[in-house]
Amino acid sequence: MSSIFVMAEHRNQALADISLQTLSKGRQLADQAQTELLAVVIGKDTTTYAEKVAKWADKVIAVKNDRLEEPLAEPYQKILAFLIKERKPKIVLMGHTSLAMDLAPPLSVELECPLATDCTDISLQNGDVIVTRSIHNGKVNAAYSFAPCDTVIITARIGEFPIEEGNRQGQIEEIDFPFEEEFNYKKFEGYVAQEIGGVDITQADVLVSVGRGIKEKENIEMVQKLAEVLGGEVSCSRPVVDYGWLPSDRQVGLSGKTVKPKLYLALAISGSFQHVAGMKSAKMTVAINKDAGAPIFKVADFGIVDDLFKIVPILTRKIAELKDN
Amino acid sequence: MDIIACIKRVCDTSEADAIKIDSSQRDIEKSGLAFKINDWDEYALEAALQLKEKLGGTITAVTVGPQEWNDILRRALAMGADTGIRIDHDVASEDPYIVALILKTVIQRLPHDLVLFGAQSEDFGSGQLGAMVAEMLGIPHATLVVSLEAEENKIHISRELEAGTLESYTIELPALLTIHTGINQPRYISLGGIKKAMEKELQVMSPNDLGLSVDMLIPMVKLKRLELPPKGKEAELITGQPEATAGQLAKTLKEAGIF
Amino acid sequence: MTLADYKYADTIHRCFRCGYCKFPVNWMDVNNCPAYARFRMETYSCGGRLWLTRAWLSGEIDWSDHLAEILYSCTACKNCEVKCPLRFNVDILNMIIAAKSEMVEAGRIPSSVKKFLENIQRQGNPYGHPRVKRGEWMEGTGIEPYQGHDFLYYVGCVGSYDTRAQEVARALGKVMQKAGVSFGVLGNDENCDGNEVNKLGEETLFEMLAEENVAQFKKLGIQKVVTLSPHSYNAMKNDYPMFNGDFNVMHYIQLLDGLLGDDRLDISGGYNATVTYHDPCFLGRWNNEYEAPRNVLKAIPGIQLIEMERNRDSTLCCGGGGGNFYIDLLGGSERSPARIRVREAHATGAGILAVACPNCLTMFEDAVKAEGLEEELAVRDVSEIVAEACGIK
Repeated sequence: MSSIFVMAEHRNQALADISLQTLSKGRQLADQAQTELLAVVIGKDTTTYAEKVAKWADKVIAVKNDRLEEPLAEPYQKILAFLIKERKPKIVLMGHTSLAMDLAPPLSVELECPLATDCTDISLQNGDVIVTRSIHNGKVNAAYSFAPCDTVIITARIGEFPIEEGNRQGQIEEIDFPFEEEFNYKKFEGYVAQEIGGVDITQADVLVSVGRGIKEKENIEMVQKLAEVLGGEVSCSRPVVDYGWLPSDRQVGLSGKTVKPKLYLALAISGSFQHVAGMKSAKMTVAINKDAGAPIFKVADFGIVDDLFKIVPILTRKIAELKDN
Repeated sequence: MDIIACIKRVCDTSEADAIKIDSSQRDIEKSGLAFKINDWDEYALEAALQLKEKLGGTITAVTVGPQEWNDILRRALAMGADTGIRIDHDVASEDPYIVALILKTVIQRLPHDLVLFGAQSEDFGSGQLGAMVAEMLGIPHATLVVSLEAEENKIHISRELEAGTLESYTIELPALLTIHTGINQPRYISLGGIKKAMEKELQVMSPNDLGLSVDMLIPMVKLKRLELPPKGKEAELITGQPEATAGQLAKTLKEAGIF
Repeated sequence: MTLADYKYADTIHRCFRCGYCKFPVNWMDVNNCPAYARFRMETYSCGGRLWLTRAWLSGEIDWSDHLAEILYSCTACKNCEVKCPLRFNVDILNMIIAAKSEMVEAGRIPSSVKKFLENIQRQGNPYGHPRVKRGEWMEGTGIEPYQGHDFLYYVGCVGSYDTRAQEVARALGKVMQKAGVSFGVLGNDENCDGNEVNKLGEETLFEMLAEENVAQFKKLGIQKVVTLSPHSYNAMKNDYPMFNGDFNVMHYIQLLDGLLGDDRLDISGGYNATVTYHDPCFLGRWNNEYEAPRNVLKAIPGIQLIEMERNRDSTLCCGGGGGNFYIDLLGGSERSPARIRVREAHATGAGILAVACPNCLTMFEDAVKAEGLEEELAVRDVSEIVAEACGIK
C-alpha cells in the first residue's frame, strides 16, 4: 500500500487534539500496512507543529505561507490536491472538523476520489480500507468499503480514536506553495467570539445537570467547577429554574431543551418523565442520587447512590488528577 | 434573488429505541417510524424564505428521491417555496457523490443566485453533499453557516467552529451555503398550508431526463452492512465509599473518552 | 390578515375593560384567570388579549414572539367567558383562539407550540413518542382491545404516555374491570383527540383528527365512549358532532357515579382521608359537571370532603390547558396557578388533592414538589381513590 497522509490541524497556537488522535490512528494503520505515515502541516508558521507531529510521522511536509494565517479552506484544498496528485497516498486522513467540512468534500470532487466522513473506525482488511460510521442518531453502525481507486479521503470523528504517544523523529520537509489564485470571491472578515452570557446547552458535549437536591443557589458553584474540569456546561431540571437558581436556557426537559451530549451527569435529579424526555438520547448517562429508587437509575449507564455533596468535590479532584497525568 | 433549497426526507429515529436492521442488512426496519424533512434543511428553507421576504425573488425546492418524497416538497411549498422539483432516484446507495452529481445537473439549468443545503442529514450525517455540489458547479461555498445577510450580489455569513467561535466571510454570488441549526426559527407548517400546497404541481424528472445514465451514477463509497452497536447494560452501580466511587467514576469517564 | 378579514371584526372592540374576566364567579379572589394570576399584568387577561389582538390585526402593533406568547398563555379555562357580563361573552374565548389561528397559518407561533403540533402531526401525540408505544401502559392489566364491547375506553395522549398519568389509566381500567363494565381500548391505534389542537388554533389539523377518529370509531361500530380526560370528553361530546360523530360520550366520573348508584362497585374498603376536590375546567366550566365527582367521593366511607373557596365554576385552572401542560408558558414559579391552587388545597387542611383530569394531575404533582409539600399533600386521581376503596392494588 502506498503511504498514508494525515493532515494535522492547529488552532489558537496549539495542535488540535483531534490531530493527535488521527496521527495515532494513522501511525497504527501505517504500521499495519507496513507503509509510510506522512504528516501534512499547513499554516503561516508551522515549525513547532511540524516538530510535534514528527513524533508520529515518518515524514512531515510543512507548507508555509503568510496568507495561510487566514482560515479559508480553499488554499488548504489547493495544497492538498497538489500533494495528493504528486504523491498518491492510499489514505488521506483528517479530523471531522469545521475546516474539514469546508475542505474535504470539494477536495474529493476535485480529485474524483471517494470520501467517507465522521468515521468511528478505520480498518484494513485484506488490503481493503473499511470504515465504520455511526448513523441514525447513534443507534446503528454502518460499514463501508470503497471502489477500486488510488486514494480515499477519510475524516475521523472527534474523540473516537485514542491518542498514543509518538516516539519517532520524522524527516521534516518545508515547502513553499505558490498560489496562482487570490480567492477574492471569499473574503475572511475575522473571528467572532461567542456571545457572553447566552449558553446553548444543546451544543455541549458534556452536561453536568442539577436537580432540586442542590438545595441552594450558592451550591451551584461546586457543580460549575465539575463542569469546567470536564469541559462541559451546567444544565438543570425544572425546579432549579423555578427557584431562580439558574436561567431557563439551562433547563433540560419537555418544557426545556432536548440535549444529546456525549455525557449527561445527573446530580440529584429524580428522573421524572418530563425531564428524561429531554436527555434520553445522551450517549452516556451517569446518575448520582441519594435515592436508590430514583427513576433516573433506569435510564443511566452508571450510577452512584450517594449524597452529591460528598461525591462531587472528590470527583472533581479525581478528574483533575487524571487529566494532569 | 433566485434561491434553490435542496432538501431531504429522513425517518425520525430520535425517539425510537428499538431500531431493527432489516433482512437485507443494508437498511433499518421503517415500519412504525415517522418521516419528515431533515431538520437542518428546515433551517435552510426558513433562511431562504426570510431572504425572499426581504429581497423578493423565487425559491425552488429540490430533492432527489422516490415518490414518497413528494411530501417534503409539499411542505416546502406550504412554507412558501414557489416550485418543487423531484429527481426520481432511490438514494439508498447513499454515496453523496452520486446525489451531488444529480443535483449539480439540475441546478445548473436553473437560475440561481444562492443555493442552500442543510449542513448535514439526521440519518446518515455525512455533511458532504452541499460542498460537493459547490465544487461541481464551480461556485464559492461555506458550510455550517449560522448567520446570513444578503446584499445585491454578495452575502455576509458567519460559520461555526469548534468551541463556539465563529468565522465571518463575505462571499460573492452565486454561492452555495450549508446551513446549521439555530440560525433562525423555522416557521410552523400548518395542515391548512399543506392542503393548499397539495394543489400545486410538482416537477418530476428522472436522471435520464438530465442526461445522466446509470453508468454515470456508480458510487465510490459502498455500504457493506448495518449493525446494531453492542447493547448497553443496565445502570451499573458503583458502590463503596466516596473516595473509591468517585475515583472509579473518574476512571470510567476517562476511558470513555469524555475527557 | 387584516382586521376586516377577522371573524370577529365587528365585535372585538366591545370589550370595555371592566376587568371581570379575571374574577371567579363567586368573587372569592381577584386572580382567577390563570395567566393573569401568574403575570399580574392586564395584558394576560382576556380583555388584555382582545385589545392586543385588535391592535395587531389593525396594524397598530407588529407580530412578535412576545405577542405570540401572550396569546398562547391562555389556557382556555373559560373563566372569562363565564364571568364576562356582556352579551358577546360567548365569543370571547373563541376570539382568542381565532387570533391564534392567524398565527398558526402564518407559521408564527412559539417554538414549543410548533413542536407540540408537529409531534401530533407526525406521531399522534404531543410528546413525539412513537405510536407503537401508545398501548404500553396497559401491559399486564388484561385490558382488551376494542372489539364490539359496550364502551370504548378512550385514554388520550397524557394517559397513554405520561408515566404518572399511566398509573391513573391503569387504575381506572381495573376499577371498570372490577365493576364488570364491558370495555375495550384502541391501544396503538388510538390517535390524539385534538382538543388542545383546537384550542391552539390549528383548525385544519383538528378537523383532520376529528374526521379520522370519527371514521375509526364508526368503522369499529363504537357507540359509547368513556374518556379518561375531560379534554377528550369535551372534544368528542361537543365538537365531533360537527364531523358526524354522534357518540354517547361520558367522562369516567359520570360512569363511576352511575356504577355506584347501581351498586356495582364494592367500595366498603373505604378511604380514610380528608380530601379536597379540584374541578377541572373541561369537566366543570366547559361541561357543567360538578356533582358527579362529589357524589362519587361522598359515597366512599372514610372520606371527609372539604371544599376550597374557589370551587365548581369558580375553580382556578391548574394552568395545563391550551397545551400548557406541555408548552408551559406559565412556568413553575410561586405565582403559577398550579402552585397557587396547591397552596389553596393545603390551606383547607386536606391531605389529598383529588383530581379528575390527567393534565391537572401532572401540573399539581410538580407544584406539590415545588412547594415542598410532599409530606403533607398528595395528589390523587378520583379513579385511584375509588380503586383503593375497592381493594384494588
